[in-house]
Amino acid sequence: MPVKPSLYIALRFTAARKRSLVFSLSGVILGVAFFISTQAQTQGFEKFFIETVLGTSGAITIGDRFQPRYDPILTGGNGTSAAVSGQQSRKYYSGVDNPGLLIRCLEDYSAVLAVAPYVEGNATLRTNFKDEVIKLQGIDLVAQLRATTLRGQIIKGDLDRFKYRPYGLLVGTLLADKLQVKPGDIVYLTGAQGSPHACTIEGVFQSGINAVDQSRVYTHTSTAQSILNMPYQITSIVVRLRDPQRAPEVAAHFEQQFAHISRSWQDREQGNLAIFHALRLSSAIVVSLIILLAGFGIFNILTMTVLNKVREIAILRSMGYRRGDIQGIFLFQGLIIATIGSAVGCVLGGILTYSISLIPIHMRGIMNTDHFVVAWSSSHYVWAVLIAYVSVLVASYFPARRAALLPPVNILRGSGQ
Amino acid sequence: MSEAASHPPCLAARNLERYLGEEESRVHVLRGVNLTLEPGTVHAIVGPSGCGKSSLLYILGLLDNPDAGHLEIGGVPVLSIDDGEASAKRNESIGFVFQFHFLLEDFTAEENVMIPMRRLGKLTEAEMEARAYLLLEEVGLGSKAKRPSRHLSGGEQQRVAIARALANDPLVLLADEPTGNLDSLNSDRVFGLLTRLVHHRNKALLLVTHNPAIADVCDWVHEMKDGMIVNTTRNER
Repeated sequence: MPVKPSLYIALRFTAARKRSLVFSLSGVILGVAFFISTQAQTQGFEKFFIETVLGTSGAITIGDRFQPRYDPILTGGNGTSAAVSGQQSRKYYSGVDNPGLLIRCLEDYSAVLAVAPYVEGNATLRTNFKDEVIKLQGIDLVAQLRATTLRGQIIKGDLDRFKYRPYGLLVGTLLADKLQVKPGDIVYLTGAQGSPHACTIEGVFQSGINAVDQSRVYTHTSTAQSILNMPYQITSIVVRLRDPQRAPEVAAHFEQQFAHISRSWQDREQGNLAIFHALRLSSAIVVSLIILLAGFGIFNILTMTVLNKVREIAILRSMGYRRGDIQGIFLFQGLIIATIGSAVGCVLGGILTYSISLIPIHMRGIMNTDHFVVAWSSSHYVWAVLIAYVSVLVASYFPARRAALLPPVNILRGSGQ
Repeated sequence: MSEAASHPPCLAARNLERYLGEEESRVHVLRGVNLTLEPGTVHAIVGPSGCGKSSLLYILGLLDNPDAGHLEIGGVPVLSIDDGEASAKRNESIGFVFQFHFLLEDFTAEENVMIPMRRLGKLTEAEMEARAYLLLEEVGLGSKAKRPSRHLSGGEQQRVAIARALANDPLVLLADEPTGNLDSLNSDRVFGLLTRLVHHRNKALLLVTHNPAIADVCDWVHEMKDGMIVNTTRNER
């Protein structure tokens, strides 16, 4: 089957102008590759941060109970309504009310994968030479391991030893460094009131979040309740969801259903997430501008080509080529550049992304990593190709339109002079 | 007479009128031009510059529209058709040869000849190549079919342009000073080729020329002045 005539001519025109082709292609290739690699980096760090947050604190944290405010308008059965004065602000009650029942209810939701109750409060941890105020979290180890990634966070010590030691502790890595303690060491924990309890460090964990690693200490629920003088209390419940992205709506439902404060990870980390979002958007804009600039270059090249080829356009028209064919020749040239540029750009973008992931980087702060974190997502490639096609085709459209509307008679008259 | 009745003229124009420019600068370039091109005939249009020769040629070739009049190609009225249909008609029934060859310089001679065939879309790639080669053979360039057109001499390029004009076997050939840019040797050769092809293939050729020697050997000579054909003579051979 013969190639469409305008595509054939476009291929020949494109191949004949090698310097213009290289210039046009390099802009598209670099734009697409940069877009892919920058998106992979920013989303990589963002995803890594989210995984760290979910692994440490779950998708939803359920906290204090509150008394729901009543509706200021009361509606009667016969269609009448009455306003109620003296509405009070919401009242909060510390901790989770009837945690056993609440946990059973939560476990019945299909969206919920696991729940883990804990009691948390401030305590003082004393070693031989230093005191440090820490956040003591009393956990149900089995439930905690199901709801979080605590097992993978242990970098020193033994979880099994912790499991069978009522006064065993798991200490954040930064806190352990600060206090110079290691598994097997004896330390003393003191609550707000009461006497010190001798405890043994059974493990050191690294969550990847500095705020956690430098202040959190895990022990068993009953031990924490005793030290913190909060008998039988549960302050919060960590909820692991099947789909963490649905956390805001599920949290809102829980809050309404159970009258307990429910915070999704998106709500808890909105400050950090906003920074990641802004970074992604900013890099996307910058790299899109590169692609747009490439498009502008293509616009210039095609406009010059149209100006240089007015005679050829006129002769093609005299041979029976329609306006649409002429427009097609220049649009196809753009399409050829966009297609080759996108394909090569995607390959280069993949290579760049892989190379960047090998670069060592020592990052400690809102997350811990020793190398660049990248995300491999087909959406980066789809978006890069889409932006390249749109900008190149828009850049090609105007020269193509101009070529199609050139009056052949005027050109043929002028060329005879 | 009976032959004329069974075969409509390749091209027939009646009372063609054309104005160019607007308002004060409006010029009446064609004033009721009548012309009939029968198959196997060669027509020359002569006249001073600005008398409307090229304007007439472009209207007959459906590149421009007259302001009034009637035009038929192969017995089919063609003035009420849209741009797309006019392009298709031009592709199928008209071959243009210009003073400058206007070949696509990145294409070979053969590829240039294949351009109108590609638009027509009736032949396969192999058939197009075979036909292009035959046409180039006919104009004496079979051995240079695969050569880039920019590497051909001026006379050779004009012969490729003639082969290209014949690509879709058109009814009418319209030539605007086809030998105007050639030396006398090449001029004679190109003109001889055109007339031979027209007579051999039973086409009609209308050529605009300033060269009296060429006009003298055409079958018909139409003299134009101020947008009108003021005199038509038949050269007896």
